Amino acid sequence: MAAPGPGEYFSVGSHVSCLTCLGQRLQGEVVAFDYQSKMLTLKCAPSSGKPNLHDVILINLAYVSDVDIIHDRTETPPPLASLNVSKLANRARSEKEDKLSQAYAISAGVSVEGQQLFQTIHKTIKDCRWQEKNIIVMDDVIITPPYQAENCKGKEGSALSHIRKIVEKHFRDVESQKSMPRSQAQQTQKDSTLSS
Amino acid sequence: MSMKQAGGNRKPGGGSSGAASGTGGSGGRHNLGRGRHSAKANSSAVVFNGVYGNMRMVDVLTSVVGTKCDLKVKNGLVYDGVFKTYGPECDLVLDVAHRTSPESSPSPRHEDIVESMIFRSSDVVVVHFRDVDLNFARKENFTDSAVAVSGRVNGEHKEKSLEPWDGGDQNRDQNRAVSGSLESLDTDVSNGWDPKDMFKYNEQQYGIKSTYDSSLSTYTVALERDTSEEFLKREARAAQLAEEIEASSTYKARVALENDERSEEEKYTAVVRGDREPHPLNRENKYVPPGQRNRDGMSWGAGRQNSPRLVQGGSSPPAPRPVPHDYSPSSGADQRVVNGGTTSCPSPSLRPPCRYQSGPSFLPPRAVTPTRPPPRPPSRPSRPPSHPSPPSRPSSHPSPHGPPAPVSTLTNRRMSSEGPPRMSPKTQRTPRTHRPTPGSRGPPGVDFMAQNAAGEAPVTPPIRASPAGGTWSSVVSGAHRPRSPRQHSVGGASPSPSSLASPQTGIASVEPVTMASASSPTSVSPFSNMAAAPLTEVKESRVQEARQNSPTANKENVKPLESLPGVNRTSKGPPNMAPDHRKQIDNLKKHETPSSVVCPHPEQKRLPDVTSQGVQTSAPNFSGGAKPEEKEGQDLDQIRKSTLNPNAHEFKPRAFTPQPKPATTPTPPRPQGQASPSIMVPQPQQVYSQTVCFPQMYPLTPVSPGVQSPAMYHVQMPHMTVSQSKTYRQVPSMQQQRVDQHHLPQGGPAMMHPASAAGPPMVAQSPAYSAQYFTCSPPQFAGQQMVQPMSHYQSQTQHVFAPVMQGQARMMAPPNHGQPGQLVSSTTTQYGEQTHTMYVSQGPMPPQYAHPSAALHHHHQHPQQSATPTGQAQQSGQHGGSHPAPSQPQQHQTPPGIHMGSQPQQQMYQALAPTPPSMTPGPNPQSPQGSFPSAQQTLYIHPQQVQHGYNPAHMAHMQQVSSTFRSPSLHSEYMLYEQAHMQSGMVASHHGNPGHPQMMLMTTQQPGVPQPQLSQNALNPIPVSSTTHFSYLTHPQVQQHHQL
Repeated sequence: MAAPGPGEYFSVGSHVSCLTCLGQRLQGEVVAFDYQSKMLTLKCAPSSGKPNLHDVILINLAYVSDVDIIHDRTETPPPLASLNVSKLANRARSEKEDKLSQAYAISAGVSVEGQQLFQTIHKTIKDCRWQEKNIIVMDDVIITPPYQAENCKGKEGSALSHIRKIVEKHFRDVESQKSMPRSQAQQTQKDSTLSS
Repeated sequence: MSMKQAGGNRKPGGGSSGAASGTGGSGGRHNLGRGRHSAKANSSAVVFNGVYGNMRMVDVLTSVVGTKCDLKVKNGLVYDGVFKTYGPECDLVLDVAHRTSPESSPSPRHEDIVESMIFRSSDVVVVHFRDVDLNFARKENFTDSAVAVSGRVNGEHKEKSLEPWDGGDQNRDQNRAVSGSLESLDTDVSNGWDPKDMFKYNEQQYGIKSTYDSSLSTYTVALERDTSEEFLKREARAAQLAEEIEASSTYKARVALENDERSEEEKYTAVVRGDREPHPLNRENKYVPPGQRNRDGMSWGAGRQNSPRLVQGGSSPPAPRPVPHDYSPSSGADQRVVNGGTTSCPSPSLRPPCRYQSGPSFLPPRAVTPTRPPPRPPSRPSRPPSHPSPPSRPSSHPSPHGPPAPVSTLTNRRMSSEGPPRMSPKTQRTPRTHRPTPGSRGPPGVDFMAQNAAGEAPVTPPIRASPAGGTWSSVVSGAHRPRSPRQHSVGGASPSPSSLASPQTGIASVEPVTMASASSPTSVSPFSNMAAAPLTEVKESRVQEARQNSPTANKENVKPLESLPGVNRTSKGPPNMAPDHRKQIDNLKKHETPSSVVCPHPEQKRLPDVTSQGVQTSAPNFSGGAKPEEKEGQDLDQIRKSTLNPNAHEFKPRAFTPQPKPATTPTPPRPQGQASPSIMVPQPQQVYSQTVCFPQMYPLTPVSPGVQSPAMYHVQMPHMTVSQSKTYRQVPSMQQQRVDQHHLPQGGPAMMHPASAAGPPMVAQSPAYSAQYFTCSPPQFAGQQMVQPMSHYQSQTQHVFAPVMQGQARMMAPPNHGQPGQLVSSTTTQYGEQTHTMYVSQGPMPPQYAHPSAALHHHHQHPQQSATPTGQAQQSGQHGGSHPAPSQPQQHQTPPGIHMGSQPQQQMYQALAPTPPSMTPGPNPQSPQGSFPSAQQTLYIHPQQVQHGYNPAHMAHMQQVSSTFRSPSLHSEYMLYEQAHMQSGMVASHHGNPGHPQMMLMTTQQPGVPQPQLSQNALNPIPVSSTTHFSYLTHPQVQQHHQL
């Protein structure tokens, strides 16, 4: 390969910033760069602000301008570790199913509150799904619209009480964030999810 | 059991410890190592196209697979989806993607989602993966490092970069301990940790003490090992069974299934079930694969019935004879017990032994079969002698017919049993099945023979021939395995058929035995004969029994269950039997050796106790009979011999008179005693037990003294059958020869016997005939009639009575014994059938006839004779027929050949199928119940009468008895029998078949030897048989069988 000239080559670990053709400013640490495809991958601070998480941005340098190398890194990048492909595949499948499930629920006319509650519960308990407009948690508890704590029905037990607590907390959080932008509220949810 | 367990343990242990642990452990590690290495290799060494060649890009892009992302394209549109994959040109694939818009809700609607979208890299401006855990896919590969890295778990958020584990070289800093251990593991070529090491390590390292107990005491009951004979026998049997099972194609096939070792062809195109055709077989051996069954007539028996038998026999093949005598009774009981479980444990101790013994005996048949031949020959000789004792046979003409046929069959079986025991088993089994099946019916005696050879048809004859043994075996094995099927399938009807078949065989065998005993050493011979016969019979019986028994046993069991009332009756009957046994025992005690005596005593005592009331009377008779006297001297010797030597030896030397007697005598007493004891215990149960014992006894009888009567019968039966042709020819004096001949030429000898018997029969006929008639007729009549009302029970009682009749009883008993299992299982019905068969066999039937057809024949024959198809018809035939009895006998006689061929099979089948009907009809005629009582009474009476009259008087007594109850029918039957006997004697040659010959032999023997003794002997056996029958009749027996 021809030795990349300035601006053509990014060493791993370097911090760069650029401006996309869409006017979006991006900055992050170079994780990978493919010269042929002009694809640059940056690792940025997580949008959720959670530790151990990152935002990964794949940039097509063909549509980028103003590429600046904030500071270069000459150290040898750490070796790569093998990846558990099956785990990744499972994650892809589950994400896909979640999205579809959510899409079905939305298609069924579930209220936004319901969707939010579902997402909140799903963060804690993976075993939840939509059945029409009802949320089925662990095949044991059914939450019917309007998705309040009193709408949780099922066999009395720790499961039911636990889910009621989640629901109560969810709406409490929602109330506390009502004044806040919706995005923030979502972010808080994400945060909680991440933290969990 | 123990063996099995042991085997099982071995397998599991071996499998798990060896391959499993080794492969599993090392394999897993290796895989891990490989995975790591391969990962490295892939990332570094392999050359890829485009982006794939960029290790870092691949790594990062792969790390974000499965995460949500929003992708912006040139035109400013934003798509949201789950990153699925990417191409070498960095084309991106998003699943469930949807175009997002500022105003859209956070979640897309289903209709907005696209399953999968591919974006050309040239169209992509930016792809934003939010909140991605780059270590997501890495953590799991390195649990240790992941743990170390994932400090966040504890609230720490140290950023630790994951690094590939490289044999510890690079990661030692972080994972020293881990890498160290892993390295050692990677370099460890062993198959992993030994469980002991694991336990030890855990204990040392973590102080964890394993509670693992190899005996799994918390999961199951630890096997208690002891050196008792019983245990050893059981163990041996278990080992044999395990061996058989594991050697069976079915087992292998199933194992292969698990291990997937079979070829495609084997899996999908090698199904061989055409052979199954024999429904009967199916009954007995449902589990046995058709192919296997067909393949190995033995396999059936061996696999199921045989296996037990074999096992048993295997355990004590050689010993069986000696032991058998002793055991035979007990073995019978044991088997029953085993079969029925312990329900009929009247003599628990005895039972176990019995089973074992029977087992041994059985084992000999299979394994020993070859060996048996020798023993059998001896036994046969003894039997021939018995045959010579036409009296018994004559008396049991009904049985004789059955016996004769049985004899032939028996001979065949015996022959087969010796050489082709398996075949015989199969044949026996098959016969049963055949019997039930129309096809079997179709084929005449010859067919039966052929069938037997083939498997099914042969089975019937064999069954009959070896009835005692066969029945026993059937009882044992059948009870255990086949029984259920048969019982289930047969239930009332089918069981009866099977039972019939078995009973018949058993009866037939018994008769021959009795005949033999009566013939040569009438007084002494009885015992000797008994002993010898028992021995041979035992062997055969064991084999046959195991085979036949299983089916029959099932049936019998079923019957017993059905005929609970009958059980009560049976209990009564058993008492009768018991008395006989007691008598015999007493005789044995008095005359015979202590051992034999001892066994008998218990049994007798027990019997007396239980059945003492009814039996006692009979017992006296028996004791009073010549048996005691003859038995004393000869019996003692015989017993000793028997115990010492296998049946063969004893039989051969004693064949004619003394030797057989001694051996047999001792054994018979024991069997009887045992049987009786079992009977004694709980009358109903006792009955069962008795019946069980008896059946077992019978099979065992040959071996054990206690079984004497049964054994005698069995032995005699076999001998009779075998020798009949020959024996008959040689009949009078040549018991041994007869036996030998019997062994050799089954059919021919039988024929001969008739002729020879003809002469003797005249003399002894009256007693023997009377006895036989009584027994046979009573059973038949009672059985049929009784059966209908009481059905099984009644029939059983009747049967028992018949046995009680001594001559017949013995004859019956043998068959029963031979078919003990059957008898037991189908007790009532079977008994009834058996009795019927007995009659049939006696009258018309050649040896085969007698045995297989005996039961069937009875029914069939009866129908034929009386024209009435059903039991009523039969009964009527018998009863009414009894009046017409002469005609019936004639019919029987006339048909012998036919009967032998067609009748046996047909009868068997018919009997199986018809029997039920006949049973019902019989009841209808009704007198059945009444008859039953009468039968029982008759039984009681019979014993005495028999004993007294065994000679001519017996006839009278028998008649009287019969008359008392169903006197008409009984008498008629007796008459028939007598006539038959007479005819047989006269026609013996005509009958040619064993039945007549046997009869002849019996007669001859009786005349030659102390007829009284013979008669008594016969009576004794009969009682035993009767008891056995009763036991069979009784539910307990059935239960026992089942349990067993």
